[in-house]
Amino acid sequence: MAMPLQISDLEVRAGRRMLLTVAELSAPAGALIGIRGPSGAGKSTFLHALSGLIEARGRLCWGEVDLPRLRPERRTAFRARNMGLIFQDFLLFEELSPQDNAGLSGLFKPRRNREAIGARAAKALARLGVPEGTRTVGSFSGGERQRVAIARALATDPGLLLADEPTASLDRRAADALIEDLTGLARAGGKTLIAVSHDTHLLERLDRVLTIEDGQVTEDTGVQAA
Amino acid sequence: MRDSWDSLPVLAQDLIIAGALLLPLLVIGGVLMRGFRPLPLVRALMWRFRWANLLFILLIAVSTGMGIGLIAQERGLRIGSAQAAEKFDLVVTAPGSELTMMLAAVFLQPSAVPLLDGVAYDRIANHPQVQIAAPIAFGDSHDGAPVVGTITDFVTYLSDGRIEGRIFARSGEAVVGAAIDLQIGDRFTPAHGRGSGADAEAHEGVEIEVVGRMARSGSPWDRAILIPVETVWEVHGLANGHTFEEGDRIGPPFTPELFPGTPAVIVHAGELWANYALRSEFTVAGETMAFFPGTVLADLYRVMGDVRQAMSVMSIVTQVLVAASVLLGLFILTRLFQRQLAMLRALGAPRRFVMAVVWGYGVTLLVAGTALGLAFGYAAALVLSRIVTQRTDILVTASITWAEVNLALGFLSAMSLLSLVPALVVLTRPVVENLRQ
Repeated sequence: MAMPLQISDLEVRAGRRMLLTVAELSAPAGALIGIRGPSGAGKSTFLHALSGLIEARGRLCWGEVDLPRLRPERRTAFRARNMGLIFQDFLLFEELSPQDNAGLSGLFKPRRNREAIGARAAKALARLGVPEGTRTVGSFSGGERQRVAIARALATDPGLLLADEPTASLDRRAADALIEDLTGLARAGGKTLIAVSHDTHLLERLDRVLTIEDGQVTEDTGVQAA
Repeated sequence: MRDSWDSLPVLAQDLIIAGALLLPLLVIGGVLMRGFRPLPLVRALMWRFRWANLLFILLIAVSTGMGIGLIAQERGLRIGSAQAAEKFDLVVTAPGSELTMMLAAVFLQPSAVPLLDGVAYDRIANHPQVQIAAPIAFGDSHDGAPVVGTITDFVTYLSDGRIEGRIFARSGEAVVGAAIDLQIGDRFTPAHGRGSGADAEAHEGVEIEVVGRMARSGSPWDRAILIPVETVWEVHGLANGHTFEEGDRIGPPFTPELFPGTPAVIVHAGELWANYALRSEFTVAGETMAFFPGTVLADLYRVMGDVRQAMSVMSIVTQVLVAASVLLGLFILTRLFQRQLAMLRALGAPRRFVMAVVWGYGVTLLVAGTALGLAFGYAAALVLSRIVTQRTDILVTASITWAEVNLALGFLSAMSLLSLVPALVVLTRPVVENLRQ
């Protein structure tokens, strides 16, 4: 289920060094948001804070859940239930088949959910045109691998999709096809998509783009539009 | 408690010990893996680092197999030699080294030993508690096999009467051991001496006919040719223990004055208890020495046991080193896989699941290595046993017992416990840092 995002006075630090501050930010459920900015500006840090992978201070609420207030294991459980993560370099198990990779969450989810995860993984793979069969993903092209990674993110039917440079490892043609698929699936499923990217083709397809510089949101096309 | 344990069948005790040794592994596995399916990822790890994994498995297998093979082989040799000496209750020889005398008289190892004279033999043979007093005369051979002179009672006793054909009945006849390549009816001329120094022509003109074959006993006597002791004396140009009036008769009683001497007398008492009294009676300073081959063997086993213990310590040290290298390998390999493991945490996998994957990977290496080690150990013991049997004719049989299995299980269990360390260390690494690497 997609959830609205509400952030206020968010701070992420590494020791005494401030990495990111976000004074106020909100987004409705189902929004497609891009994050851009120069390297080292804090884009990935923001994404990690949104996913609860790093400690943060302030409020960062997904729906009613204030993520920084949760203990690490509760944040992990929240992520497992509500988020699908997509990484720049896919992070697949090359020795496994696309179906096994896409259904990876089924390995640690309760037994009763495994079948549904497997079925959703298969459906997502089919929808994304990933070749069927017993081939391992080690023999796949970059585009095919990223599709498997998207299918993995969708297999748990999360309300939130968080993607870190999803097209950076792909050639233009594969990237465009992937953008089509990713945004199409997010919109069709009513999911919130937050993607860190330098890819203007992707950012153009999103509802709103945040620019982060020196650890601060310096531009928000959503705010300008309002 | 102790009584109930002792009342259990041995197999049940072994199974309980094996279960107890495996318990830590099963408990850890059960706790870590409950509700999860980490095996596909363990398989992926196994395949990703297949060559390194194979090396680790072989390392574990060799170190485990070495210890197991050593114990199995030593036990096989101990049992085999004890069985080979089973028929030799008491041996009386001239004073000297009991070990040398035992190796010569019981295991038929060539050696120059002093002789007992006719008076000594007569005293032994005529003792009321002695049922068989068999003089043993050796020094000749045929085709590498020792030709041993003795008496018919001893041949019957040694073979438990299991003889194809018949026992020799006169001088110039022979009964061969089961491993001798001579058939009943074959004739041969013994060579003087044994081994490379044997003189094949020394007894030219002497012909001995094979009249019987003993059943296999699993002792060096399987490769011996038994002839009347009189024949041995005669072919060496000595008196044959009998007066001219006795004609061609063979076997006791012998005339002490015409008794040329024997290196050893194998004594079988009518009653088991009498052996102790006989040993005492036949041990006469400067004249005769009586000993139980079983006791000499027990002393030998004690020395062998010390050697085994030293080698066992070496094997344990090797196993500890291998265990340390496996743990180190696990650390290195999990570092190579840390991005995927961090990704699992990012996807929402519980800590326990990640631990289950790393631990399961380590334990898979250990189980495969230990199982292969058992097979290696058995194979090594088998090969060594065959070599020892071939060279000594002592039937050494290799077998893996519960003691070896439990040793392997103990190693496995201890290592499975230690494998938790790399699994825990993986969890201490920050997820985001690992994702970025």
